[in-house]
Amino acid sequence: MTARPGAPGRAAVAALQAALAAENSAVYGYGVAGAHLAGARRAAAVRNWVAHQNARDTLTAMLGARGAEPVPAAAAYELPFAVHGAASAVSLAIVLEDRLSAAYLGLVGLSDPALRAFGARGVRAAALRAAAWRGSTLAFPGLDVPAPGQPGPATTGSGATAPASPPPGSPTPSQPGG
Amino acid sequence: MTRDATRRRVLAAGAVTLSLAAAGCRGLAALGTPPRAAPGVAVAGDAIAVEARLIAHYGAVLAAVPALAGTLRPLLAQHHDHLARLRSRLIIAPGSRASHPASPSASPPGGAPVLGSPAAALRYLRDAEDAAAAAQLAHLAAAPPSLAQLLASISASEATHALILDGHRRHR
Repeated sequence: MTARPGAPGRAAVAALQAALAAENSAVYGYGVAGAHLAGARRAAAVRNWVAHQNARDTLTAMLGARGAEPVPAAAAYELPFAVHGAASAVSLAIVLEDRLSAAYLGLVGLSDPALRAFGARGVRAAALRAAAWRGSTLAFPGLDVPAPGQPGPATTGSGATAPASPPPGSPTPSQPGG
Repeated sequence: MTRDATRRRVLAAGAVTLSLAAAGCRGLAALGTPPRAAPGVAVAGDAIAVEARLIAHYGAVLAAVPALAGTLRPLLAQHHDHLARLRSRLIIAPGSRASHPASPSASPPGGAPVLGSPAAALRYLRDAEDAAAAAQLAHLAAAPPSLAQLLASISASEATHALILDGHRRHR
């Protein structure tokens, strides 16, 4: 595929870079979360960690095919909260997946039907992983995302919704020191 | 002065009436093309119908297996959220089909559900959720961007409903 200049191509590259950034922070975050989990939950964290590495490679290739330079992962990421136990590890995994839902939904907003379909699959995959960690569901994954550490509207049934993406408190690349 | 102005307006209004009458002789087409529905309207209408069917399925199951209420009510509430968000995209005429979500026409696919046991009811709803999740993506390419995002989000939500329903089914 050749590089596509023009606004649609630029929007696609920006959305793909956003998804890549979310995948990169998920790879880092699952590395942290997995260290605090055991048994079936650790196995799930490892499975998801591998899935996010694969997704990162896919997005990297898609950006390359568009003649864009994939933004590399940061060396370290600032976590939205301290993780030192299984409960906060699960909360982190939920934040990572919620952030991915929002990032992939950005691809659904593009005009290219193939990227829309790709984005929809990404939203679905992230929402499924988030629901598995939560044990409950959201009405609008990627659109209405609860604050970190909150179980979300599903459990309370309140129907209250948080502001749209990006979810607050997502892991952000640490500023390089010095 | 003001009287003159009024007279001019009356005369002008008369001229408009005359031209409208002349247009009437040539049919409505002379008045211009009537506004057509935006591309998102049909897509949103289909999505509303999908949600309405799902809500009808939940209603049937809840009536037949009340013991599942604790599991099903939170999911059903989210379908009502889906429906409300989709409807907010449209101006729906009162009495139109889309304004009656749980109409009797919203019959389950493949005939009446087999609801003999909670497990069967959960499997039935899981399949309905899977079908709805796929249906919400059927017209993804035709939707305006923000509606496409809403449909993808709702579809993902329905996929997670199927996951949760399956989990409950297996733990029975």
